[in-house]
Amino acid sequence: MGVLPVRTIGIWMLAVPLAILAIGLAFKGMAAANPSFFFTWPYFIEVLIAGLLQGVMYSLVALGFVLIFKASGIFNFAQGSMVLFAALTIVGFIEMGTHWTIAFFITAGIMVLLAISVERIVLRPLVNQPHIILFMATIGIFFFLDGFAQTIWGSDVKVLDIGIPKTPITVMENANPSDPNDPWQYGILINQYDLIAAAIGAVLVTVLAIFFQYTRTGRALRAVADDHQAALSVGIPLKTIWAIVWSVAGIVALVAGIVWGGKAGVQFSLALIALKALPVLILGGFTSIPGAIVGGLIIGAGEQLAEVFLGPLFGGAIQDWFAYMLALFVLLFRPQGLFGERIIERV
Amino acid sequence: MNDVSVDQAPMTSELSTDQSGGPVTGPRLFNEVLLEVNNVSLSFGGVKALSDISFDIKKGEVRAIIGPNGAGKSSMLNCINGFYHPQEGTITYKGKERRQMRPHEAAKTGIARTFQNIALFRGMSTLDNIMTGRLLKMKSNLFWQALYWGPNLKEENEHREKVEHIIDFLEIQDIRKTPVGRLPYGLQKRVELGRALAMEPELLLLDEPMAGMNVEEKEDMCRFVLDVNDQFGTTIALIEHDMGVVMDISDRVVVLDYGRKLADGTPDEVRSNQDVIDAYLGVSH
Amino acid sequence: MLYREAGQFKTSYGADQAIFPILQDKLGMIVILALAVVVVPLMASTYMLNSILIPFLVFSMAAIGLNLLTGYCGQLSLGTGGFMACGAFFAYKLTTAFPELHIVLVFLLSGLGTAMVGILFGIPSLRIKGFYLAVATLAAQFFLVWMFNKFDWWTNYSASGVISAPPREVLPGAFITGTEAEPVTKYYFLLGFVAVLALIAKNLVRSRIGRAWMAIRDMDIAAEIIGIRPLWTKLSAFAISSFYIGIAGALWAFVYTGSVEALAFEINRSFQVLFMIIIGGLGSILGSFLGAAFIVLLPILLNAGMLAIDPTISSALVSHIEFMIFGALIVFFLIVEPHGLARLWALAKEKLRLWPFPY
Repeated sequence: MGVLPVRTIGIWMLAVPLAILAIGLAFKGMAAANPSFFFTWPYFIEVLIAGLLQGVMYSLVALGFVLIFKASGIFNFAQGSMVLFAALTIVGFIEMGTHWTIAFFITAGIMVLLAISVERIVLRPLVNQPHIILFMATIGIFFFLDGFAQTIWGSDVKVLDIGIPKTPITVMENANPSDPNDPWQYGILINQYDLIAAAIGAVLVTVLAIFFQYTRTGRALRAVADDHQAALSVGIPLKTIWAIVWSVAGIVALVAGIVWGGKAGVQFSLALIALKALPVLILGGFTSIPGAIVGGLIIGAGEQLAEVFLGPLFGGAIQDWFAYMLALFVLLFRPQGLFGERIIERV
Repeated sequence: MNDVSVDQAPMTSELSTDQSGGPVTGPRLFNEVLLEVNNVSLSFGGVKALSDISFDIKKGEVRAIIGPNGAGKSSMLNCINGFYHPQEGTITYKGKERRQMRPHEAAKTGIARTFQNIALFRGMSTLDNIMTGRLLKMKSNLFWQALYWGPNLKEENEHREKVEHIIDFLEIQDIRKTPVGRLPYGLQKRVELGRALAMEPELLLLDEPMAGMNVEEKEDMCRFVLDVNDQFGTTIALIEHDMGVVMDISDRVVVLDYGRKLADGTPDEVRSNQDVIDAYLGVSH
Repeated sequence: MLYREAGQFKTSYGADQAIFPILQDKLGMIVILALAVVVVPLMASTYMLNSILIPFLVFSMAAIGLNLLTGYCGQLSLGTGGFMACGAFFAYKLTTAFPELHIVLVFLLSGLGTAMVGILFGIPSLRIKGFYLAVATLAAQFFLVWMFNKFDWWTNYSASGVISAPPREVLPGAFITGTEAEPVTKYYFLLGFVAVLALIAKNLVRSRIGRAWMAIRDMDIAAEIIGIRPLWTKLSAFAISSFYIGIAGALWAFVYTGSVEALAFEINRSFQVLFMIIIGGLGSILGSFLGAAFIVLLPILLNAGMLAIDPTISSALVSHIEFMIFGALIVFFLIVEPHGLARLWALAKEKLRLWPFPY
């Protein structure tokens, strides 16, 4: 931190457009070789943008993981069920006739309570256990919360309308093409909902970044992330910090739940989105907030491009596994992820 | 300052030739070189852990590596058994220059070691921990292992017998079946030594075998180290901070400081070396 | 008082290394096996056989497989469902392509095929650890299920994507698959098959290879120091574990359900087996059986219990409550006894050994 990694940013600003161009050209080449392969540049860009916006939403879920991992070294598998729980709860209150702003604050309160009880009941007794045990414990929490949320609120698909328009908008339209086959004549369709959701995500990330960079709690958190023992010894209340972090992660889950739930409806599959956040984290590294965002963008765009352009070659639905395979592939060459620091093993 | 160190170099070598030809009560004599470290340098990023280190370990001797914290002692051991790969320099073992090797390959050539922070298999019993030291010597294939019969059963019993000898030797019969996680620190160190011994190594690297022990435990450990050297003829290279122990049990001592070699010779030579005294006691300029 | 080892002296290292070094344990095991062979088939109804004992044995096999990898070698896998699917579909393709091949051989071969797949997905384990590896195994899970679901070559182009086990006999006249098969025959076959493979697993974990796995699990750096090759050891764990899981998948499809689609092996199946080994005991063959029994029985008992309390309860609610209880139990076991039921059993025996004079 501190010094801006100018060189890294420069490399990325150069490499990313080049990579996108290369992928586009590769697809174009495949389209030339195979007439059933559909490709035009506007369509490519449209899919890319849709993928990136989807990616921001992945990042939103991944953010919750990163916060908890940074503070306590726990890989919280239950983040997804927290998303589901939060979304079901807020829908439940709205259905009871509460205004959605009030419902938001009530749910946020419940998420904080939930976070504190998880910290009390589950994590405290497991302090100093191997990470893998803690990981499995969060799988237990995952199941518990899934069951709990659906026991209370039922398992029907619920509609969550927070008033964001879902109609697509068109940009870069060439209304009067000189060539009747001009691929740009219909422009690029962008889903407004995704755009606004991405904006919400961006605001949340900025707020969190400021919170952790400039507040006392943020500083304490970074100290804890660096070294538990040392942080304890200078008088940082570890347990309070953990409770705060879990609460923040709970509220991030709430925002993610609202955004995802508004898009796809609130139902059980929301919890499984969390699984998609795992490859995001692998790419971005478990401890880096910027990493989670870039990882989300890569996974979102990669998955969407692969599904739309390559999917038909394999019979479709490859987005079920593409993200994991991509992550696996990256791990083979960079075990620490794209942004993680190189691990020097000490003996 | 420069003049002094130039003067000292020939003086040390003169001394050592004197002493090796000395009386019977003097240092033991070793001729055959088992391992030779030549001009080894190692760095992590910009940090130099070792720079231009050369020394040798002779067959059958007890060789101590000493130096203040951060001197690069553990890094040196890590180079010898293949954890780190030095950027410069070579390591010659049993007359052959070694290519880059992984730790498990080093183990195969007869190098065993213990760790500064105990590295036992905490989920297993004492017996099983020491049995793992025999893994390289076990040969029966998967088929017989699946049946636990025939060659595998015979082999298990043979190696169990060898392991029992080590257990007797280290006097840990009563904790044979105790999970090592439950043992006190001193015993864990002993079990770790047992595991290394089970490999029947030619070269045994001990990283602070007596750290954190009380006087009695230290005495026990010293006895075991000397007995191992004496009874099995194992060459031993050890890192230790307790000067008393080092001076008592080692044949030759190499001193490192800030990744450089400061001195090399018998305990007496090292003790009287001005650089060493400066490094340990601090020097006023 | 009856459970004592006093007076039982061992005169060889072999006797000391036996699976049941204490006479009473040996007798106990013989009694249990005798019960399983003689009494159970006489007493058990078809329902009991089909929905409790047979799934219990199939799940035990899967749990042993995962326990070898996760409990003994320390490599967490969330891909169990995918590997079970491999076993099921390999067995289906094999037995429909070569109908004359003996069914046991088919099971073993499909296990071998799954072992190959396991090795393939285990390769990243050399470089990545812990939950990074868990994510890598998720890739296997999703990819394999997708593959079996998408390409109808695997189902011999059946329109529904469902494979149905053709009738096969283990001994002349003794059908274990297909609609003809009697539950009792299936039970006997499974009992024998699982018992033999469990014994082999037990032998492996107390031999060289098992010690190498545990060494890698407990401290991989130290394991390398004593000459254990990490890649080879981890891959062998992946291979043997997948072998067991593949066979379990084949047994699931052929003997237990009779017909199955790829979606039966999705991610929840992986969690189910993982829960078995956590509750039963990580690093324990006995624990695999206990965990399987627990996870098979609990939903049945819960269901019955809740229906008794409120007969109008919806099945969805029951399954949600089941989720809650499973989750809570996992957390409970990890906090109270990370070594699971098997450890509790061992503690009970320890107490019993000294009872009634514990000093």
